[in-house]
Amino acid sequence: MLSLVHLTKEYGKTRVVDDITLDIESGTTFGFLGPNGAGKTTTIKMIVGLSHPSAGTVNINCGDPRDKSVRERIGFMPEDPYFYDHLTGSEFLSFCANLFPKKSPRKHSDILKSVGMFEYRNQPIYTYSKGMKQRLGLAQALVNDPQYLFLDEPLDGLDPIGRAEIKKVLLELKKRKKTIFLNSHILSDVEEICDEIGIINKGKLIFSGKVKEFCDGKNLESRFVDVINQDNKS
Amino acid sequence: MRNIFVVAQNTFKEAIRDKILYVILGFAALFILSTIFFGSISLGEDIKVIKDFGLAGIYLFSLLVTIFVGASLIYKEIEKRTLYVVLSKPISHAEFIIGKFIGLYLSVFISTVLMTLVYLVVVAAKGGGFDAPALIAILLQFFEIAIFVALMILFSTFSTPIASTVYAILILYIGHSLDLILKYAQKHENLSLYFVKTIYYILPNLEKFNVRNLVVHHIYPSGASVGYSFLYAVLYSTILLILATWKLKHEDL
Repeated sequence: MLSLVHLTKEYGKTRVVDDITLDIESGTTFGFLGPNGAGKTTTIKMIVGLSHPSAGTVNINCGDPRDKSVRERIGFMPEDPYFYDHLTGSEFLSFCANLFPKKSPRKHSDILKSVGMFEYRNQPIYTYSKGMKQRLGLAQALVNDPQYLFLDEPLDGLDPIGRAEIKKVLLELKKRKKTIFLNSHILSDVEEICDEIGIINKGKLIFSGKVKEFCDGKNLESRFVDVINQDNKS
Repeated sequence: MRNIFVVAQNTFKEAIRDKILYVILGFAALFILSTIFFGSISLGEDIKVIKDFGLAGIYLFSLLVTIFVGASLIYKEIEKRTLYVVLSKPISHAEFIIGKFIGLYLSVFISTVLMTLVYLVVVAAKGGGFDAPALIAILLQFFEIAIFVALMILFSTFSTPIASTVYAILILYIGHSLDLILKYAQKHENLSLYFVKTIYYILPNLEKFNVRNLVVHHIYPSGASVGYSFLYAVLYSTILLILATWKLKHEDL
């Protein structure tokens, strides 16, 4: 289970994430939505232990994400990922895999094939397009076969074929009961993939629950726009 | 330990695939070869001139390799967010910093070894035989480079590559002038001796590692002095790496 308890982040006097409390059951695919600058990326960085909360706690399976033992079970893909230019995709994947004490049962070739990067594996990363880096970003997050997966805009910058491939990977992970937490702007995809969503606006969590419950017969995008506009007015 | 090795191997691989390294090494080889010309226009002192210029060249080009490869080492990872990927894995900040240090140091070490080989060939070709004493100067240079690499890593945790380079060069300059500054302060009462002594003990005394002029004149440091310089380099580099780790740990990525 993933628990955020009164999670807060302040930069000087600006509160970027404001007292978020949220529980996500294991095996849930959770979409974290919000307009630009709402605090999504800051939240995900605190969840994976890259950023220190000003207040509150993050628990992943009752453990602190800054503990190595917890990080062994998580995978993280940052937004707009950038890697070591002079390595090949395959070398980068091996580098990431070697940082884990236990060898994952998943073969690198299978991971690369699943994200559509197998044929480019021996090319240096500086020759990759944005979409290819995005796919490699997902591949490195899967390299330890994590139980918890945190993805920051995983579908950003992908062409329709790439998006379909990545969605297929995510749906397969969902079938394997992985806990997936993803930030995304592409609401149609979130609607298709996620069981639950959380909506953050100006740092505050304004909704969390089932996608169907939130949509209430409408599509996610129009409901999202209504809710954000309503929240901005209030 | 394993993570340190993984990061070091990766840093080394990245560094040796960077074209800038080969450009610097190319210029270094040209410079060392050009000492033959400088030697030929001296009056019967050609071997001494070749050794003087050659050893100075190896030192300067080793610094250039460290600056060009090391200045952006951590900064680039923070700016381009590669660090997000690495530090979200089960690796500590200390393992990351030490791995970066070893990887960069290894690439500078190998570059220096290559320059030394060219130097030894040039000296031997000009009739100077195998210049074994030069190896003592190069050994001490390796100790100094360890401090310089650690400095570059520390600076790159909080400043841009250009600022890191400027800070490192300033410390390098002051570090080689500390003995002179202290002597000056002791002679002139208007300079605060306390202040100068504080700087003297805080900043690295890099002149300890400079025996290039001595070995050219066949004056060699004692084993104890080399051992002391080694311990000084290890201690100073360790302190710098601890500071770099602390800075990175408290960096809000």
